[in-house]
Amino acid sequence: MRRGTFVRWGVPIAAAAVIGAAIGAGPVIAAVRGEPVLPERSAEQLLADAVAATGKDGGLPPMSGTVQQTASLGLPALPQTGSASPLSLLSGSHEVKVWYGAADKLRVAMPTQLNETNLILNGGQAWYWDSATNTATKLTVKPGTRPAGTSTPVPQPADLTPQQVAARVLANTGEHTAVRVINTAQVAGRPVYQLVLAPKDDGSLVQEIRIALDGETYVPLQVQVYARGSAEPAYQVGFTQVTFTPPAEENFAFTPPAGAKVEERTLGADGIGQRAEERAEHAKDVAGDLKVVGDGWTSVAVVPFSLADLTAAANGQSGQNGQSGPAGDGGDRFGGEGDPRALLDSVLKSATPVSGTWGSGKLIKTKLVTALLTDDGRLLVGAVTPEEIVKAAGVR
Amino acid sequence: MSTGDGATPGTATLGRRTPGLVPVTETMRTSERRAPEPPPAAAPEPPEPAARAMGAFWRLLGSELGLTFRRPRNLVMLAVLAMVPVVVGVALRAFGSGDDDMSGIVQDVAGNSLMLTFVSFSFLVLLLMPVAVSVVAGDSIAGEAGGGTLRYLLAAPAGRTRLLAVKYLNAAVYAYAVTAVVALSALVTGLILFPAGDVTLLSGTTISLGDGLLRIAVAVAYVGAGMAALAAVAVALSTFTEVPIGAIAGTMVLVIVCQVLRAIPELAVITPYLLPTWFTNFDAVLRAPIDMGALGEGLLAFGAYIVLFGSIAWARFSGKDITS
Repeated sequence: MRRGTFVRWGVPIAAAAVIGAAIGAGPVIAAVRGEPVLPERSAEQLLADAVAATGKDGGLPPMSGTVQQTASLGLPALPQTGSASPLSLLSGSHEVKVWYGAADKLRVAMPTQLNETNLILNGGQAWYWDSATNTATKLTVKPGTRPAGTSTPVPQPADLTPQQVAARVLANTGEHTAVRVINTAQVAGRPVYQLVLAPKDDGSLVQEIRIALDGETYVPLQVQVYARGSAEPAYQVGFTQVTFTPPAEENFAFTPPAGAKVEERTLGADGIGQRAEERAEHAKDVAGDLKVVGDGWTSVAVVPFSLADLTAAANGQSGQNGQSGPAGDGGDRFGGEGDPRALLDSVLKSATPVSGTWGSGKLIKTKLVTALLTDDGRLLVGAVTPEEIVKAAGVR
Repeated sequence: MSTGDGATPGTATLGRRTPGLVPVTETMRTSERRAPEPPPAAAPEPPEPAARAMGAFWRLLGSELGLTFRRPRNLVMLAVLAMVPVVVGVALRAFGSGDDDMSGIVQDVAGNSLMLTFVSFSFLVLLLMPVAVSVVAGDSIAGEAGGGTLRYLLAAPAGRTRLLAVKYLNAAVYAYAVTAVVALSALVTGLILFPAGDVTLLSGTTISLGDGLLRIAVAVAYVGAGMAALAAVAVALSTFTEVPIGAIAGTMVLVIVCQVLRAIPELAVITPYLLPTWFTNFDAVLRAPIDMGALGEGLLAFGAYIVLFGSIAWARFSGKDITS
């Protein structure tokens, strides 16, 4: 090898270094530039601002951006589901584009390979466009009611905007939570306040929840949920790119293209209203049976639920006592089309048998949630450690 | 190696030594190649004026392009690629009507002629277009080395860097030709078989025909850039071997391995670093507004691949011992 050879090969090595640096530049630059300057604020001040910003109707400034949702919940491997299925949101990473003009002007687009799903809200009108089926659905929203994520066929990411998630979490702050504020973080290139909510109880699987509020507008830009003992968030939803300029009007104008199937649905009309009622009744039934053990972050929900029903539903799958272990869940991946049976099957296979003075059951543990299915027909679910949930199972 | 001055590419040295080289049978290819080269360019004039150097560069590129586009193999590949949109269009026309369970994009084709271009791209960028591009690009250096013509090319005081640049540009032009042929064939087929008119985008917005043609042009530019990036990989592999089929097969194996890796959901982390991931981003032009972010990211990825593999090819080729 001559000197010239080294010099020559230095060029591609330098090129690789430059490219690598460019890829990793974002975090590096942020680290070098140091902490963005935001005045210090107490948690209460920030909470008040945040509640003001999220609570006030139409209080959000017009904005547009890209929202990314990433989940690594440590679930047992789920059977493959369609990309539009809600189950697919439980693992991997998803991206939606959001244009927000005013309280009644919103466009959410979920672009996928050569397809796109859109939800466009303009005034009292809502359009749901799915290019895969070439169908435009007109949803007429009754004045005063916002489309709830459960009763409309909206793309699931619609109820996952940082605003809504933050609002949900903010409602739960209380005596069980240690709250602090970090004023040195950045999200989507903007300096943010991070509101850190950490459970005081060690029994919780959640280490902390971080809500990033924009330093200027107090719009929630990101929500991260950290599981105990892991450095990467188990669940994260937030803007990867955001601008606070009013988006172009044509984003909110939608006319069904020629040749598309057009369907109409009125929210709150008889059919759907009835269904909602039924659903509410069913929810009431479940709520009647529901018992909560513990409080705060370590509360465990107990629902009557029998394994016999479950396995009967799973088409006579015999009880898989002793068939535990993570190795067993690989085979289902190519199996079903995401039908509940395959899902149950794969979840149950990864369950660990546990027992105590209260009896015995199967324990399913993920990064954030533990579930215990007892043999005497109870289902316990909580964001707690297995020890806690076993303790809760002893409480009658 | 026997030629000890391989590490110092003195073309003048090679030029002086040309008469002493082992005689090689003058093939059809070599005679053809020598013909368009004007004698002055071959004369060893040490300090060439920049303008004349540029002139020689373009002449060399011109002769390379002439060879590439006259070679029957390359023309056959273009013809095959042009046939695919025709077949797809005829099949959709013949069997695609009436069924309700067609996927959206196929229905869009039935409704508008321009969509056939995008459907054809989405089929072809995965494998067939990369094959055509890697055949030409993988053949670029290795083909000359294997055919024994590389040293004659280097006998001209052109320099290896310039030869490599010409070879790469030649492959990039072919990459764009492949893309344009597919687009044109799809466009003509679509206009004959399906109604023309306003174009419905994936976002459900409708745009005019002219605007649609403009978007096709953007898609051609983007896909062509992607194929040119693949050509850089193939040229780099081509400098490592004297067997052209090795470089071609190597590139194809890389493409296929990338496609396999992309299909594994557990490896989603690495997919942004794989070149074929970015080929399909052309569908950004079918959104309203055009997703410039996706296109820009893709072009950056292509640029990174071209710079990286271009420099690898240069480092290898400028220090290579030329034995054939």
